[in-house]
Amino acid sequence: MRVSLDWIKDFLDVTASPEDVAHRLTMAGLEVEGMEKIGDDVVMEVNVTPNRPDCLNVYGLAREVAALYRLPLKSPETRVSPDLQPSDIQVSIDAPDLCARYTGRSVVSVTVRNSPDWLKRRLEKCGIRTINNVVDVTSYVMLELGHPLHAFDTAKLAGRKIRVATAGSDLNMTTLDGVERDIPGETLLIWDSASPVAVAGIMGGEGSSVTEATKDIFLESAYFEPASIRKSSKALGLRSESSYRFERGTDRVFLEAALNRAALLIAELAGGRICEMVDNYPVPYTSVGITVSYARINALIGIPIEKEEVLGLLESIGIRTEEKGEEFVAWPPPFRGDISTPVDIIEEVVRCYGYDRVPARPPRATLSDGLLNAAERTVHAIRESIRKGGFNEVVNFSFMNMADLDLLSIESHEHEHRRKHVILKNPLRQEECLMRTTLMPALVNNFVYNLSRGNRDVRLFEVSRVFIDWGKQLPAEGLRLAGLYFREIQPSLWKDSVPAFYGVKGVLESLFEEIRFNNYTFVPSREVFLHPGKSADIYCGGFKMGYIGEIGPQVIEKLSLKTQKPEVIVFEVDLDRVLTLLEQKIVYHQIPRYPSIERDVALVLDEQIAAAEVLALFREYPSGILSQVELFDHYKGKNLPENTKSLGIRLTYRSKDRTLSEDEVEPVHMALVEHVAKKTGAKIRGTA
Amino acid sequence: MDDLLSLKQSFLAEIDTVSEIAELQQLKAKYTGRKGLVTAQMKALSSVPPQQKPAFGKAVNELRDFVDQTLDQKEILFRDVEKQKRLLSERIDITLPGKPCLPGKTHPLNKVLDEIKDIFVSMGFSIQEGPEIELDYYNFEALNIPKHHPARDMQDTFYVSDDVVLRTHTSPVQVRVMEKKKPPLKIIAPGKVYRCDADVSHTPMFHQVEGLMVDTDVSFSDLKGVLGLFIHSFFGDETPVRFRPSYFPFTEPSAEVDIGCIFCAGKGCRVCKTTGWLEVMGCGMVNPKVFEMSGYNPDEFTGFAFGMGVERLTMLKYAIDDIRLFYENDLRFLRQF
Repeated sequence: MRVSLDWIKDFLDVTASPEDVAHRLTMAGLEVEGMEKIGDDVVMEVNVTPNRPDCLNVYGLAREVAALYRLPLKSPETRVSPDLQPSDIQVSIDAPDLCARYTGRSVVSVTVRNSPDWLKRRLEKCGIRTINNVVDVTSYVMLELGHPLHAFDTAKLAGRKIRVATAGSDLNMTTLDGVERDIPGETLLIWDSASPVAVAGIMGGEGSSVTEATKDIFLESAYFEPASIRKSSKALGLRSESSYRFERGTDRVFLEAALNRAALLIAELAGGRICEMVDNYPVPYTSVGITVSYARINALIGIPIEKEEVLGLLESIGIRTEEKGEEFVAWPPPFRGDISTPVDIIEEVVRCYGYDRVPARPPRATLSDGLLNAAERTVHAIRESIRKGGFNEVVNFSFMNMADLDLLSIESHEHEHRRKHVILKNPLRQEECLMRTTLMPALVNNFVYNLSRGNRDVRLFEVSRVFIDWGKQLPAEGLRLAGLYFREIQPSLWKDSVPAFYGVKGVLESLFEEIRFNNYTFVPSREVFLHPGKSADIYCGGFKMGYIGEIGPQVIEKLSLKTQKPEVIVFEVDLDRVLTLLEQKIVYHQIPRYPSIERDVALVLDEQIAAAEVLALFREYPSGILSQVELFDHYKGKNLPENTKSLGIRLTYRSKDRTLSEDEVEPVHMALVEHVAKKTGAKIRGTA
Repeated sequence: MDDLLSLKQSFLAEIDTVSEIAELQQLKAKYTGRKGLVTAQMKALSSVPPQQKPAFGKAVNELRDFVDQTLDQKEILFRDVEKQKRLLSERIDITLPGKPCLPGKTHPLNKVLDEIKDIFVSMGFSIQEGPEIELDYYNFEALNIPKHHPARDMQDTFYVSDDVVLRTHTSPVQVRVMEKKKPPLKIIAPGKVYRCDADVSHTPMFHQVEGLMVDTDVSFSDLKGVLGLFIHSFFGDETPVRFRPSYFPFTEPSAEVDIGCIFCAGKGCRVCKTTGWLEVMGCGMVNPKVFEMSGYNPDEFTGFAFGMGVERLTMLKYAIDDIRLFYENDLRFLRQF
C-alpha cells in the first residue's frame, strides 16, 4: 500500500527521519519496500500482510508509528452535531450472517463538482483516480481510516429503501465500471425497493451512482462478512479497493466514525445538510478476553521477559490487559480481528519486544537420524556416476503437452502409461498443460535448443519425477533418470572410435555396477521413436526398467536440425524400480587361491545371433571349472563370409581346491567350444 | 713376465679408444677369447720352466681377471649410456593436450540443494519427501489456510481438480510427516513447487527447502540459532542476519530472514532496492492450529518451521541475474558450475 508520510503526520508529531520511520515499521512487521520523494512529502510503499487489514490505511499506520515512538495519537474529527433532520432512507438486513451492521447517512442538497487540489493530490499520491468531490471523499476516508464507504444518489433509490440480501437466483447487473455482469445467486447485494443497486462491499451499480446531476446522496458504511466478499469477488472476477479491505476484515465499531468523517467532509466540500444516522446492527461486536500465561510466553520465545514489560508492550498497541498472578487476560481492540488466541498475543509481545533482542541459541546436540536415507544416497550416487560419465545435469519444468508425446509417436493404448497424464485446469500456456509422464521430450527440446546455439557436444541428463494418472485421487509419482548424448564428429587430436551407442551403454552399465544393480538384460527395444536396429529395452525380473537407443530418423526429421545425419543416443530408466532391486548386502567371497588357465576362442557365426546368447551358452554349460567368460573381440568384414561375424572369447578355467593342469582343462575346453559351435552353427576359427 | 706387462699396457691403451659395445666384444675376443692374447699366454704356461710356473701362472690369471673386469665395467658404462640415449629418443611432446575425459556438471540448483542438505544433515536433520501433486487439504487447509482466506492470494495455484493442486510450497510435507511420526522431529523437505505466475523474476516451477523442528522445548531463540548457523555456513561467517516480523498462516510468531546485501555490503544497491538487506527465507513458530490438525498436542510441544527458495539462494550465491537461465539449460551456462 502507498502511504504519504505527510498524511500520517496529521495524526501525530513524528520528527524522526523518513528512513528511520521506514526501518522501525519494517522491523515491526510492516515492511517498507520502497520510498518515493514527492515534493516535501515521502510516499512509502508498505507491504501489509493479510493478517493486518487494520494497517491498510493512514490512521492505522499512524497508530503503529505512535506505538513505536511512544507518541500520542490524535483522533480524526468525527463529531457530527445533533439536531439533524431524520433519515429519509430506511434500511433492512435480510442476511445478518453476511452483514453484521449497516449504517448510513443522507447528505441533502450537495453540489457535485471537482475536488479541491489538496484532496486530489493526496489521492493521486496513493495511486487513486479522482472523480468528483463526493466519490473522492469516500476514497479519501477509506484510505485515511480504512473503512470502505459507498455513496448512492438518493433520487435513484426506488422507494427510498435499502435492503441487504443475497441475489437469490442468478441475475444480471451493470456495475459502476459499465460492465454488465452475471451475478451468482449467493452474492450479497444491496437492493432498493425494486432492484439491486450495488454488489455489497465490492462495487456499486451504475444505475445508482453519483453524477454531476446528483442533489442528495446516501452514504453507506457497513460491515460485510470477509469470506462471503472474497467468494463473490472471486466468482465475479471483480476486485476493488473495497473488496480488498472487506475480505481481510474491517472494524464494525469504528465504521461509524468513518461514516461521520465522510459526511462532514462532504458537507464541507460539496455543501449540503447531514441527516441523522440510520444504524441497523443485528450482530454487535463482542470483546473476548484471552488468557495467557507468562510461562508460555517465555517458553515460546526462549528467554524471560518481565511481566510489566509484557503488559506495557501490549497496552502500547491498544490491547487492554488485566493481571492475574501467573497469567493475564488480554482484550484486543475491535480493529485487531486477527487476534483471537494466546499465541496471537505472544506474537504481539515478541513483535513489540523486538525480534533482534531475542538471543540466538546455538543448535543443541541431539542424537538423531540426521542422515541421508539409502534411497537418497543411491540417487546421489546415480547423479554422480552419470555426471562423471560426461553428462551435464539439466532441470526442466514438470510440464509437457500432447505434441511432445506425438513427436515421439508414443502410442495411445491401455498399457501405455505415458498417455495417462495429469491435466492442469489452469495452465499458464498450452505448451504446459500436462504434467510430464516421461522426461524425454524435455531433453530433446534441450538438445534442439543447445544445437541451435552452436553447442555441438550435447550430453545431458536429468533425474526428476514423472506423474502417472492411475485413477486414484493423487497420481503416482515416479523418479526417472533420462539422458541424451550427441557429439558432432569434430577433427580431434586423440581418436576415439567407440560407436556412440556403446559409449552411452557403457556409462549406464558403469552406473548399474556402481549402485549394485545386477541381473538386468538388454533386449531389442519396442520403443517406436528409436531406431529399430539400434535400441534396447532394459529388463530385470520380468519388468521393463528403461530403454536406450538412437533416436529414429522419423523423429529426427521432424526436428529440422542444422546438422547432417545426427546420431542422438537417449536413455530413460525407472529409478523407483531400480531402487527396489539393488543388492544391499555386500558379502565377501574368498580371493581365488589357485591359479587359473585361460583359453581364447574365435567363432565365426551368423551375424544375427546376439553375442549375449553365445556368452550365455558358455556360462550355462556344466563344465564345473569355467569361472569367467569374456568377449574381447567383435569383427565383421574382410576375410569373413557375408552375413557373418567373428567373436573372440576368452574363457578362464579355475578350480577352488586345486591347481588345474593343462591336460585336465584341454578336453573340457574342447567339449565346451564344440557344444557352443554346434548350438550356434558357428565355425571355430581358432582356439588357443 | 715382461710380455704380460706389455700385454696389459697395450690392453689399457686399446680400451681407452673403445666407444661402443661391439668394439668391447672385439677387444674381449682379442685378449681373453679362445684365440686371445691372454689365453695364448695361459696356453704357454706349459712351456714355462717349472720354478717360474707358479709366479707366471698367478700373473696370467690376474691379467685375465683384470681384463675381464675392466671390460665388464666398461660394458656397464656403455649400456647405461645407451639406455639414456634410447630413453631420450623416446621423448614425447608433453605439451600436447591430454585426452579429455571431462566429467559433466551438476545443475547449479541441485548443487545448492546438495549443499543445503549437507548443512542441515550435519545439524541432525533428516530428509523427507512428499508428493508434488498434493491434496488441497495438505497444501492449504491443514496449514491453517481455509478455502476463502486472503492468504491464498499469496500463492497463485495450479489446479488439477477442486481438491487437488500442484503444491505451492513444500510446507505440506510438515503435516504429512507429523501425521506419521511422533516428536522429537528434525526434518527438512526439499523439492519442486509450483505457482502459476511467470515473469522476469518468477518461473511456474521452482524449488524450496522446508524445515521443521519439534520437541517439548523448542523456542524462537532456537529458531534464530539454527537458521543463523545455516546462513553463516552457506553465505559465510561474516554475513549479517536479521529477523523481522512477518505473517504466514501456519506459523506464529512468523519472521522473514534477511541477510546483509552481498552485492553492496549493506550500502544499498539495485539488487537490495537500496535497503541494504536481502530477503532469503520465511520462518516462524509452528501455529498451534497446525499441531492440532496434525495430531500433536499444542500444549505439550513447540516447534519452528522455515522455508527457503533455492533459486533465490543460488542466484545470490553465484550472482545470477535471470531466473530463467536455470530452465533454459544452455550448456554454456551449465558448464560454469
